[in-house]
Amino acid sequence: MTDTSDTTSIRDAVSRQLPRRYRAELRFRAAGLAAVASAVGILVILLISILSQGLPAFTVNQLVLPVHLDRSVVDPEGDASEASLRRGAYSRVLQDAIRAEFPEVTARRDLRNLFGLYTPLNATRLMDDVLADPSLVGETYTFRMPIADDLDLYLKGRLVEDRTLATSGLLTISADGDALALNSSAPDFASLVEDAVATMRAEATALDARAERARNLAAELEGSDAEDALYEAERLSAQAQALREELAENDGRIELNRDLPTILVELSGVAVRLTALDANGRSASGEAMLGDAADISGAADWTLYVIDTPESRRRVSDQAIVWTRALEARGLVRTDFNTYLFSNADSREPELAGVKGALFGSILTMLIVICLSVPVGVFTAIYLEEYAPKNRLTDLIEVNINNLAAVPSIVFGLLGLAVFINAFGLPRSAPLVGGLVLSLMTLPTVIIASRAALKAVPQSIRQAALAVGASKTQSVFHHVLPLAAPGILTGSIIGLAQALGETAPLLMIGMVAFIADAPTLGLEGLTQPATVMPVQVFLWSDGAERAFEARTAAAILVLLALMIGFNALAIYLRRRFERRW
Amino acid sequence: MSVIAIVALMVIVMLAGGFYVGRARAIGAVNGNTVRLHSLPNYHGYYVAIWTGLPAFLLLAAYGIFGGQAVERLTFSELQREASALNARLEERLLSDAEYEEFRGAALQLRERVNAIGDDMQRLRSARGEERDPARLEQLQQEQREALNSATAAEEAAIGRRAELVAAVGSEAEAAGASMRQLAGFELVQAPREQRQLFLSDAMQIANGALSSRESAELNAAARIVARYQDRIRYFVAVLALVFAAGGLLRTRSQVIPDFRARNHVERLITGLLLLSSVLAILTTVGIVFSLLFESIRFFSTVPVSEFLFGLQWSPQIALRADQVGQSGAFGAVPLFAGTALITLIAMAVAVPIGLLSAIYLSEYAGPRFRATAKPVLEILAGIPTVVYGFFALLTVGPAIRGLFTWLGFDDVVTQSALSAGLVMGVMIIPFISSLSDDVINSVPQTLRDGSYAMGATRSETITRVVMPAALPGIVGAILLAVSRAVGETMIVVMAAGQGANLTANPLESVTTITVQIVMLLTGDQEFDSPKTLSAFALGLVLFVITLIMNVIALRVVQRYREKYD
Repeated sequence: MTDTSDTTSIRDAVSRQLPRRYRAELRFRAAGLAAVASAVGILVILLISILSQGLPAFTVNQLVLPVHLDRSVVDPEGDASEASLRRGAYSRVLQDAIRAEFPEVTARRDLRNLFGLYTPLNATRLMDDVLADPSLVGETYTFRMPIADDLDLYLKGRLVEDRTLATSGLLTISADGDALALNSSAPDFASLVEDAVATMRAEATALDARAERARNLAAELEGSDAEDALYEAERLSAQAQALREELAENDGRIELNRDLPTILVELSGVAVRLTALDANGRSASGEAMLGDAADISGAADWTLYVIDTPESRRRVSDQAIVWTRALEARGLVRTDFNTYLFSNADSREPELAGVKGALFGSILTMLIVICLSVPVGVFTAIYLEEYAPKNRLTDLIEVNINNLAAVPSIVFGLLGLAVFINAFGLPRSAPLVGGLVLSLMTLPTVIIASRAALKAVPQSIRQAALAVGASKTQSVFHHVLPLAAPGILTGSIIGLAQALGETAPLLMIGMVAFIADAPTLGLEGLTQPATVMPVQVFLWSDGAERAFEARTAAAILVLLALMIGFNALAIYLRRRFERRW
Repeated sequence: MSVIAIVALMVIVMLAGGFYVGRARAIGAVNGNTVRLHSLPNYHGYYVAIWTGLPAFLLLAAYGIFGGQAVERLTFSELQREASALNARLEERLLSDAEYEEFRGAALQLRERVNAIGDDMQRLRSARGEERDPARLEQLQQEQREALNSATAAEEAAIGRRAELVAAVGSEAEAAGASMRQLAGFELVQAPREQRQLFLSDAMQIANGALSSRESAELNAAARIVARYQDRIRYFVAVLALVFAAGGLLRTRSQVIPDFRARNHVERLITGLLLLSSVLAILTTVGIVFSLLFESIRFFSTVPVSEFLFGLQWSPQIALRADQVGQSGAFGAVPLFAGTALITLIAMAVAVPIGLLSAIYLSEYAGPRFRATAKPVLEILAGIPTVVYGFFALLTVGPAIRGLFTWLGFDDVVTQSALSAGLVMGVMIIPFISSLSDDVINSVPQTLRDGSYAMGATRSETITRVVMPAALPGIVGAILLAVSRAVGETMIVVMAAGQGANLTANPLESVTTITVQIVMLLTGDQEFDSPKTLSAFALGLVLFVITLIMNVIALRVVQRYREKYD
């Protein structure tokens, strides 16, 4: 500051650096904003992905079939007693009902496939209906049952890629030995031929690429491994070659197989699956899948239905799809709200699996947690905050609670297993033990929140109470505790929400079993085997059937709704009763 | 309604009555002039009520917890006594049965041989220099396997022969007209351990009129004994509870006089209850430490600590038969530690930058409106159950990562990889870091910032050069807490990280962690004696110690830092 030239040079230097510094400032700020945005973005992606997976599970496609409850089948003893009705052959009733829809199906194998349109467990549901209303015996009853899970996914458009093509020509079908010959007056099959050729070429190229990779691998490996790789490469090359040759042969006629898209010709009441396409795009061979297809001439009202996912790569057969589409066309498939999801406990069949058992288990477990962790937590907080002398013991308790709050939850599960189950001999898988373990886990949360709430009550309240002659206990229980109650309540609810979403410790104490019956809501339910919502999510998430994915997401949505409810309650209470001193 | 429920109701009635008796007596003692009482009349009532109800209810609770076990023990010992004659006969038969003795002798001999070979192998393994002889070792292994197989076979034969004899003695006794109770006792005593438990619980079920897993005349006889003991204990407890309640009522009622310090007594009891509650926190810790320690010590008696902590092989399956593949379980936990470290590292790489920058932006740049919306949204991330994150990792992130890396030209990328588990776990930890760092940054005094601005520093310069260094200890504490959280996190890794115990640093492979293995080892059927189950407790101990150390350091750091600015 002494020399003017110095000052100017400093000023110059500073102003020269300024743009760079401002840019750095801007970058830093943008980085901060980006961090917040990415966190929010991830949350949004997470919610959207779960919503999009879970929402379809809230609807279900049901078969609405008229079933004839023949007296001789349903009531073998003929006396309409419960024992007799329980012995009825309800699965036969269902089988007869579905056979009535497709009388042309007679072969044993086909029948088995046909009965695969629904799960046999529905027979039990039919029996329950009849037991509830024995007057149904002898009547024809409209029975609703969920369609098999894979077909449900198919109907929701989540299983296969498919498209329907319009046609312009007139279709003639004639018998050609065992097969059917199809002819159209316009080149309606031309685009399909092109597609099939392109698919096969692409397949051949892919095979070649894999063969090439195997060869490269062989060069790196030694001994028998290299030979294996070479052999694999040869095999792949041969396959590619075979595909190319097939394309070149037969004047461009293409045989359709299970590895190529399925093409169905559909006209009213009739479905034909194409087995070969001619190069001219006008004629094809096929086999009947539904109805009497021989001798149709000059039909104008027909469509081509293409399932681009080859049959070998999906879980439902062409035949099942044809039947399902036929039932749908006849108005026997209805889309309803999925009540099974809430009225049933767990099941091996995804279409009948529900969260009721887990929900009840969660309620019972939470009851234990509320009854244990809230009183004990509040008492501990009162003791530490209001009574505790400053000594070694209270210091120890304090440090202890802080550490317990950060102990991994799974360790509490180990504690529960070793102490409650092995030492005390309490039953495994029971909500009682789950509640005990979760109570110990939430205790620190409740204690810390309650202490904060008690601390927030100003000293003057206590002093005023003591001044008018109240005892210590009276001042605490009559004056301080009521004022701290909203804060304590909020903290407790947040602790409970945390316990509601906890999974790991419950895996340790066996609440992870498959349980097909919901526990009773009552004292005896506390020792019955049960599971809870988050564990149900975990169980379903590795269910083999794909339909369980949607169930899992739906269960997550139910769980999240519960947790949002809990937290909203906490926020409401905080807003409503919060007092600042 | 059961006797106990009736007694509980009666005690409640007596408790309520006690309250009014105490109150009325206190008021009556001063002829309604309550000012002369030391304590308010209600306190006298409370005092009487507490001493009426408390002992009786403690007794009932003890009955509820230990009653079943007591009945089981008594039944077992009675049945054992009943069956002593039959047992003695069986012993005789066993001793005189040449076949059984032969099998048993053979089994013992073969076992010894197995052990001897094992010792030889141990010697060979630890041998150095010329003495090392891999070929011999292999041969010994082969021999041991064979010996083990024949030993198992001989043992099974002995057990089978014994079962035959047991059945023979049983049917002879039945023919000779032994009572059902003798037979029941015989069946129970001779059954293997786990079937004993089943037998007893079935008997209990029948006695309670519930469904049992099977039924037999023996079980019914046992059930009758169970029922008799149940009744005896039940009536004993019921009478005792009533005596306690009545005694308490009478004794405390006579104490009520005007000068009696009822309030102080009641308040002392309340304080005792409060202290008891807070001791529960300590008891929990003690319970954790002891249960982990005991089981771990049992585990370390079969597997040496050094092998557990430094071994590179983890395959905890213990063979049921000797010729099974991978017969001797390997308990080297290093792959688990490495997997845990890898996933934690990935999680931190996500969570620390995003969490810290969010905290900085929210506390230093954001306006109150933005802050009021963005903060709760971040906290939602903390409230989502971990199993939901696991599902997200498994079905959305995992396939996305596989798609991305396959597209980039990697071969055989698996869906369950360390990367997907780590990324999602990082997301879970973001709010943890951001809210803790937010607190720390906010507690840096404004004067430090003002000083920096006065020197002409920009905001970012102030943050990076002044606020951050000042807040650093707190932030380090927050990160340590977050790391301990990540190490102990279970569901995400169970669902998304796979189970292969690979010792790898490649985030695209599936790895396994301490928590995953605890879950794998303890779900499903378990027997409590195998090292496989016990190893879970050893892993739990390691986990507990690691997190405890980090928590203690973190809490210390945060506390010390707070004191500096308060």
